Amino acid sequence: MIFALVALAIGVFWVRAFYLQVIRHEHYVQAAKNDQLKEYEIPAQRGVIRAHNSDEVVPIVLNQKLYTIYADPVLIKDADKVANTLVNVLGGNAADYRKKLTAKDTRYVVLAKKVEDGKRQAILRNKYPGVGAQELSYRTYPNGSLAAQLLGFVNDEGAGVYGIEQALNGTLAGKAGELKAVTDVHGVPLAANSDNVRIAPVSGSDVVLTIDVAMQKQLEDILQKGVERAKSAHGSALIMDPNTGAIKAMANWPTFDPGKYGEVEDPAVFTNGAVATPLEVGSTMKPLTTAAALDMGAVSADTTYFDPASWTIEGYKITNVEEDGGPGRKNLAELLNLSLNTGATWLLMQMSKPGGTEITKQGREKWHDYLLHHYRFGQVTGIEQGYEAEGIVPDPNRGDARNLTYANTTFGQGITATPLQMAAAYSAMLNGGTYYQPRLIDQIIGPDGKAATVQPKVLARNVVKSSTSEAMQPLLEYVVKNHSATAHFDQSLYSVGGKTGTAQVAGADGRYKANDFNGTYVGFVGGDKPEYVISVVVYEPKISGYAGSVAAQPIFADLAGMLIANFGVTPRGR
Amino acid sequence: MGVVTRRSFASFDPTSGVRRHRPDYWLLVIGAALLAVGLIVVYSISPGLAAEQGSESALRLVYKQLVAVGLGVIAFAITANMPLKMWERLQTPLLIAAALSVVAVRVFGEEVNGAYRWIHIGGLSFQSVELIKFALLVWLAGFLAARIRAGTLGDFKQSFRPLLLILGALGVVVAGVQSDLGSTGVAVAIMASMAFVAGLPMRNLLLIGAGVVVLLVLAVSTTGYRQHRLMTFLNPAQDCLDTGYQACQALIAVGSGGMTGLGLGNSVQAFGYLPEAENDSIFAIYAEKFGFIGVTVLLGLFLAFFARIKRVMERAPDDVSRLLVVGIFTWLAVQAIINIGAMLGLLPLKGITLPFISQGGSSVVFVMALIGIVFQVSRYTLYSAPRQTDNRRYENIDDRRRVRGAYNANLGSRR
Repeated sequence: MIFALVALAIGVFWVRAFYLQVIRHEHYVQAAKNDQLKEYEIPAQRGVIRAHNSDEVVPIVLNQKLYTIYADPVLIKDADKVANTLVNVLGGNAADYRKKLTAKDTRYVVLAKKVEDGKRQAILRNKYPGVGAQELSYRTYPNGSLAAQLLGFVNDEGAGVYGIEQALNGTLAGKAGELKAVTDVHGVPLAANSDNVRIAPVSGSDVVLTIDVAMQKQLEDILQKGVERAKSAHGSALIMDPNTGAIKAMANWPTFDPGKYGEVEDPAVFTNGAVATPLEVGSTMKPLTTAAALDMGAVSADTTYFDPASWTIEGYKITNVEEDGGPGRKNLAELLNLSLNTGATWLLMQMSKPGGTEITKQGREKWHDYLLHHYRFGQVTGIEQGYEAEGIVPDPNRGDARNLTYANTTFGQGITATPLQMAAAYSAMLNGGTYYQPRLIDQIIGPDGKAATVQPKVLARNVVKSSTSEAMQPLLEYVVKNHSATAHFDQSLYSVGGKTGTAQVAGADGRYKANDFNGTYVGFVGGDKPEYVISVVVYEPKISGYAGSVAAQPIFADLAGMLIANFGVTPRGR
Repeated sequence: MGVVTRRSFASFDPTSGVRRHRPDYWLLVIGAALLAVGLIVVYSISPGLAAEQGSESALRLVYKQLVAVGLGVIAFAITANMPLKMWERLQTPLLIAAALSVVAVRVFGEEVNGAYRWIHIGGLSFQSVELIKFALLVWLAGFLAARIRAGTLGDFKQSFRPLLLILGALGVVVAGVQSDLGSTGVAVAIMASMAFVAGLPMRNLLLIGAGVVVLLVLAVSTTGYRQHRLMTFLNPAQDCLDTGYQACQALIAVGSGGMTGLGLGNSVQAFGYLPEAENDSIFAIYAEKFGFIGVTVLLGLFLAFFARIKRVMERAPDDVSRLLVVGIFTWLAVQAIINIGAMLGLLPLKGITLPFISQGGSSVVFVMALIGIVFQVSRYTLYSAPRQTDNRRYENIDDRRRVRGAYNANLGSRR
């Protein structure tokens, strides 16, 4: 009888085996594949970022292989032992590791990130079942925080965020490969299997920036000092080649270390304000207004006019912030030098009807055409940066109080632009009328090693006539000469011009704040022709005086002096 | 079965009773085949497992198994040549040795999940429960045979109470201290089958059975992980991640083997997916490698093996040897059924090895010692199975013929 029971059991087993192995075979093959066949992404090598340093090209973003140590709690046999090893190699708290190693309902816990190869080997040498390491490539920054916002960083998911890393993510990232393999429980592929598939990854391209590392360092240094001197919370500055659109240096203060972006408390510091933060630029708009009026023939370089020091438009009074010397005859040079709001408004009146003192629909539309299509405000420049802002150009016809609004735009209120848009518009105004797309990429080097040099890209021609450019340069030199900003350079040797702006700041309630102003400056340095255009903004400085003059202008002056001293600006007549 | 043979111990003597004759070599052939199957499977997964476990030697498990088989051959040589009457004298020494092993494991052994089951001696691990089962087997055979002789099987004080005490001790030691419900079950099954064959009154057997059921319910309902295991068994697919993991992976291994299997070197489940691949789960790995055809062969080998043991059991010359073989049969059969049943998802998982096949020192050594006993008994089997209470003995003449020096003249007279 006992044997009969055993024989019966064996018979039942045999039938059961037939059911599992023959009838349900496909089901279990599928279940096995779900478990055993793993698909991996083979990460592509991300392209490195280089930049110029006088005649050399030097790396500023490199890759480093680090490891994520992980565990499958189901397979951990002796959590205490593993935890002790981890503490010995990595430091940390044994209890924390133990908690992760004994986690329920999961088969993947991360024990440590960014572990160096030596430490990884020290851990894996013990061959604890269920403990593994995954290689990950991390960015390293030989120059620390240099150009941080401009570069951006690569997040934990391997995606570029902010700056170049975001804008050129596709170029830099390459194309990940794919591995499908039957693996052991640790994910280590077993020997050749017909289900295995491997597609090789394609490395990303390297890029060479237009940035000059030495100039960038000096810009950052000068900006930091200038922002701190003005007791401001933050500021931005950039240097652009007006004849190619190449950005030579671009920085924001405060900054961060992109290698430790995770430690940043306020993510606002990631933003490259020079391209991503539009603001009411204030009086730095006036040279553009002047150039537009000259260009459309509404005024000429030697035009004089009677400035009443006050206009009433649609019930509101437009007056001048700075000391204007009261009503009187003024020319364009004094209009800019004294930064006359009433003068800028008068220019819009001339666009409406030469000789008139009215603002008309026609005038608004002409000025709007220059703002939008010549100077290209209200749209992105297309620079290789994440989160570039468009800024706002008010509609010339739709909305209330268009005349007042448009009068305001002539001196940079009621319209917003980024420091980069201002630099690009000034460049076009000064270089004879060609609007080059601002750019940061000089070369792209493909995974095959072939380098493609990026050519300057023209976005608009005839922004202004070349005669207008020729007229504007001395007007802006005149402003610099009369603003005691000349300590660092000799204007007889070098052409240095520019314009301050002290812009009112709209508060949270939509009204302008009474005591806070942004200081801006846009100017140029060159010999016979401008070679560098500089754009500076210092937000809400807390020192007395007009923000443009006391906060932004000194930074411009330092930058102009720095360029002349160190970066081979061609003197006049050469 | 259930037949009580009233042949006294004293009469068991080759000179006065059944002659020593040719043993049942089929036991050796099939046993060796089963051991070979185990070695082949262990050999094929040893390198992979060695890599998983971080062992230096790729064939570490094979060497361990070969050492165990070597020790098993020695154990076999001893038991296969030990006079059968010796076992009654070894009753007490074996019980003492078993008790000592329990203490040793508790003191020197390695604690795993609150249970003390193992002791490590020079790279080999010794599982004390194997010795406990062996001592139980030998003691019961002697004890029950003595009660049969004295005619006191039905007496409460004489036979029933000692059995209850032993059962209680098993419960405390194996189920309690060693927390090994599976082995307790095997031991209880050995006791039950031997008591049944010895002819313990059915009333007493049922009483014990009811007690065991009550204890089992208590053990399961008071221990969280046992409850969990039971629920897992009832619904394995629900819980592939945690406790149901092993059961689930075992089914995947068996099922993915298909008709012909993945081939000897192509097991995937052994590489970390199925826990205890070389040990408790080895049947599933075998099924994955060799498919339904392989499973048919292996089940056939086990069936043939048990048939041979049954044959020896039915023709055992006296009570002690018969009861020994009954216990051995139950021991091996219950372990095989619990183990294979669990791998096929028909029974809950228990930490029970598959005799002959599973890697594991103590299991292999004791299994071979058991086969030695059966082999020795097979030298003294009677010609045919006794019927009812018929006291006539029949010698297996076919076997005797082949024994060198057997007397041909006696053949006829025995019939």
